[in-house]
Amino acid sequence: MFTQVANPIKEAILPASSSRLIELRGVTKAYEVASGQFLALKGIDMQVDAGEFVAVVGKSGSGKSTLINVITGIDDASSGEVLVASTVVSKLDQEQLSIWRGKSVGVVFQFFQLLPTLTVAENVILPMDFCNTYPVRERRERAISLLEKVGIAEQADKLPAHLSGGQQQRAAIARALANDPPILVADEPTGNLDTQTSEDVMRLFSKLVEEGKTVVMVTHERDFSRYFTRTIMLADGQVVS
Amino acid sequence: MIGPRWKKLLRDLQAAQGRMLMMVLAIAVGVFSVGTILSAYTILTREISNNYLGTNPASALLEVEPGVDDALLAEAGGRSGIEAVEASSTVVARVEVSPNQWMPLLLFVIKDFDTMHINKFNPESGEWPPAEGHILIEREALSLTNTEVGNAINVETPNGSKQEVVISGLVHDPGLAPAWQEQTVYGYITPATLAMLDGSSDLHILKVIVEDQSSVQAIEAPVSELAAWLKSQGYAVHEVRIPPPQKHPHQTQMVAILTMMLIFSLMALVLSAILTATMIGGLLAQQVRQIGVMKAVGARSRQIAGIYLALVALIGSAAVVLGLPPSLAAGRGLAGLVAQLLNFTLYSTDIPGWVYLVQFLAGVLVPFLIALGPIFKTTRVTVREAINDFGTSKETFGSRRLDSWLGKIQGLDSTLMLALRNTFRRRGRLLLTLSLLSVAGGIFLAALNVKTAWEQNLADAAADRRYDLEIRLNSPAPKEKVLSAIGDVPGIQQVEAWNYEPAAKYRPDGLDIVRTYPDGGHGSFTLRSLPPETEMVRLTILEGRWLQSGDTDGVVLNHMARALFPNVKVGDQIQLMLDGKEVDLQVVGIARELVTPATAYVLPEKFAEVTGTIEQVNGIRIVMNKHDAVTRSNVAGEVERALEANGMNVKVSILETMLDAAVSGHVYILIVMLIVMSVLIAIVGALGLVSSMGTSVIERTREFGIMRSIGARSNTVLWNVISEGIFIGLMSWVIAVAMSLPLSLSIGRLIGNLAFRFPLPLILSPSAVVIWLAIIVIGSIAASAYPARNASRLTIRETLVYV
Ligand SMILES: Nc1ncnc2c1ncn2[C@@H]1O[C@H](COP(=O)(O)OP(=O)(O)OP(=O)(O)O)[C@@H](O)[C@H]1O
Ligand SMILES: [Mg+2]
Repeated sequence: MFTQVANPIKEAILPASSSRLIELRGVTKAYEVASGQFLALKGIDMQVDAGEFVAVVGKSGSGKSTLINVITGIDDASSGEVLVASTVVSKLDQEQLSIWRGKSVGVVFQFFQLLPTLTVAENVILPMDFCNTYPVRERRERAISLLEKVGIAEQADKLPAHLSGGQQQRAAIARALANDPPILVADEPTGNLDTQTSEDVMRLFSKLVEEGKTVVMVTHERDFSRYFTRTIMLADGQVVS
Repeated sequence: MIGPRWKKLLRDLQAAQGRMLMMVLAIAVGVFSVGTILSAYTILTREISNNYLGTNPASALLEVEPGVDDALLAEAGGRSGIEAVEASSTVVARVEVSPNQWMPLLLFVIKDFDTMHINKFNPESGEWPPAEGHILIEREALSLTNTEVGNAINVETPNGSKQEVVISGLVHDPGLAPAWQEQTVYGYITPATLAMLDGSSDLHILKVIVEDQSSVQAIEAPVSELAAWLKSQGYAVHEVRIPPPQKHPHQTQMVAILTMMLIFSLMALVLSAILTATMIGGLLAQQVRQIGVMKAVGARSRQIAGIYLALVALIGSAAVVLGLPPSLAAGRGLAGLVAQLLNFTLYSTDIPGWVYLVQFLAGVLVPFLIALGPIFKTTRVTVREAINDFGTSKETFGSRRLDSWLGKIQGLDSTLMLALRNTFRRRGRLLLTLSLLSVAGGIFLAALNVKTAWEQNLADAAADRRYDLEIRLNSPAPKEKVLSAIGDVPGIQQVEAWNYEPAAKYRPDGLDIVRTYPDGGHGSFTLRSLPPETEMVRLTILEGRWLQSGDTDGVVLNHMARALFPNVKVGDQIQLMLDGKEVDLQVVGIARELVTPATAYVLPEKFAEVTGTIEQVNGIRIVMNKHDAVTRSNVAGEVERALEANGMNVKVSILETMLDAAVSGHVYILIVMLIVMSVLIAIVGALGLVSSMGTSVIERTREFGIMRSIGARSNTVLWNVISEGIFIGLMSWVIAVAMSLPLSLSIGRLIGNLAFRFPLPLILSPSAVVIWLAIIVIGSIAASAYPARNASRLTIRETLVYV
């Protein structure tokens, strides 16, 4: 079971299968509200294996975003255990989380969230800069090849404001791939895109899964089920299927 | 290649040029004022002592009878502990500056102008040394004489008649307080000229430099030995003057003023740093979401804080580049001005390296330290908080008691209501803006309050003195003779005898040691008699009571005199020395007497007893029927003529007008500098208001769009923002007024004690309060109207996409 305990982050649970990338056990999330506590997640158990393309679906307010944020460490669970990429996320402090997230999880937002004063390429280099991952001289080259992969290499030196929504989301995906994380997590990445563009973005994710990435995505669109290897349905903070 | 986060920093800088410029300007103002004062301070303190020490000031001056001859000099110079001696004489004479108008003339008699080595002065122009019958005048004193070099002036000495001497040149004497401030002309003559003017060429002053000049005590020991020896040789030693060693007469005053200016300029700097922190805070608020995104892609709080701290450091450095060079020039200019006012020459305007360093640290480090707090606070937000931030994350309206209270206010105009609520929505910013404006206002008001208090003090001093003219005679004359001599002069309402006699604190060795400077005014101590029922002064009694008839041994000390007797209380016995004799007195009261040297007041009977001058007068004070300057000087001329006609020599006549001029001379620099300082601070405050309103409007642009999309007109939006600005301004005004009180009190205490030996009164200057109110209201309107007008002009679509 425990191969080593020297690294506190990796202590406790290790996945049963070595291909297990994400594992949640009895995770709850409570928000303080005026009338007391509100349970947004009510004891979630779930696993995601390497190479899966998992959709998280459910009605508005069912806890999808909360679940995803718990996985990326953007939110902390109130109780239960969150294990992602052999790290106990719930045990990390903010600084450790940033470092870990930068290298292990690529986050894609609904509103793209590119930094407006940096060019597309610079946005992609940013995570390498912060996490100090690739040699400085190789960074731009890597950014361009990632942009090629998402199909917008020719936009590399433009500012985000000059790109269409779909192009911006591709740039955001390239940025999420910057440090070559095993997992990509996306909260409604197509929520702001038209149908055709959404399809393009979904195909891109699909391709990434084929290349070995694991993707967890929140979506409202029912039509995309063909892309997913599995769908997790949430209702009222609980997994229903 | 520089990393993208630094590119972001540079582009953010570019994008917010206006605000960056304002921050740079604000800090530059702070750096400039600190630099100016610090440069002036270092130049002036160094040069004043260079100038003063360059004169080789005497450690002590001994007044010896009969005169000092070469044999005595040789012997005295060889005594232990004595480094050098020189003979000279100082004569208090008078000079006619316009027909019948006389001014004190201090004559310094120099045996050999070329070999003098104590209390030296420098030739400036003209003859050197002056021939017999010629006089050299101190360069700053020339204008008081109303004549030119080459012309003759009418001079009268204590033992001589009026005679003409020719001004044959000018000298610069850095050892003296400037003539115009003292309203005294300084002249330099040879013993031969003295003989011609005063009948004798004897030199009565023995100037001494001792080996150890480190303290008054160190000087006193060898000097008192020397005095004892002189006595044993048959000389009479009348007075021994030991001025504060190595210190120009106005040095303390100058240092006090500069220190206060330094405090103000530091405050200006801190203000500008707070302003920078406010603006950085605004920038951060706008970029919260970007911060969240950076953290989501792997940035640590420290890395992000680094970006913004670098921004602050960059702004600070730019401010230093902008503020430092002019501050050096301004500092040199100020030093030149003060040097001119205090009559010394700047031999060098070098500014030491540490001043540059301090300025750099002040411009970069102070804003950096102040910005640390808000930067670390914002960069620590969690990603979720940041991503969800729509500009109103935490401090949302409705969360606190004040808000619910505000929510209950009824009957207010709804626009005003909204403005009120908006004001409290961003509590952090409100606090910063408020403190910035309040501190600026507080300092502005304090500066003007202190100025008012200073003027009030002088007005009080003038009001305390209810006479028009004071005359001192060279030697006592019978009272009847004096009164009948001036009895016929028209325009006189009342005459009183106010006799005077230089005094000293009693010493067991019988020496008359005083702290007086060679000019005889600074640091002097005098015993005076006064009629107990006098109306000519009305001093504020600090302890005990005023003199009453029957206070046979009673004495009233003014506050300067009290300082000579540490811990003295009403009822205590004190011992004075008067011409070598001990006098015991009992303190009945202590009075505040501003701008007057140390004085002890006794009844005429006591004065007559201790001086042995019964029914005699050597000082009178006169109240005239009219108090204008022309009448005063005419009557004074008549009185002097009448006295002289009856064979009584006038030593000095001091007109109230002259006293005013002398006193104003002392404070002129201070007032100008206080006002300049408060203007600089007001500029920083104004920049703060502009930036804060600007940020507030930018943040709420989207809200304006929403308001307008639901039917509000542009004017409503505009008025909403302006009311908010005025509201913040008024709040800060109230705080500023309250804050200025303790500030004025402590500053007033500091400079009052240094300048008057008495704290300045606490006065809230009504005009300052009104001026600041006007500045605040107009400033708030201007500061909020401009950005609000821009915002209200955007189309609704534009405002809604605004992030
Ligand atoms: N900070 C918060 N404080 C209190 N309640 C919250 C907070 N964030 C979310 N909630 C509540 O938790 C529940 C789950 O929210 P969540 O954002 O996860 O829903 P969602 O499934 O992502 O909805 P949507 O599809 O609309 O994005 C909701 O009922 C929401 O009101
Ligand atoms: Mg959601």
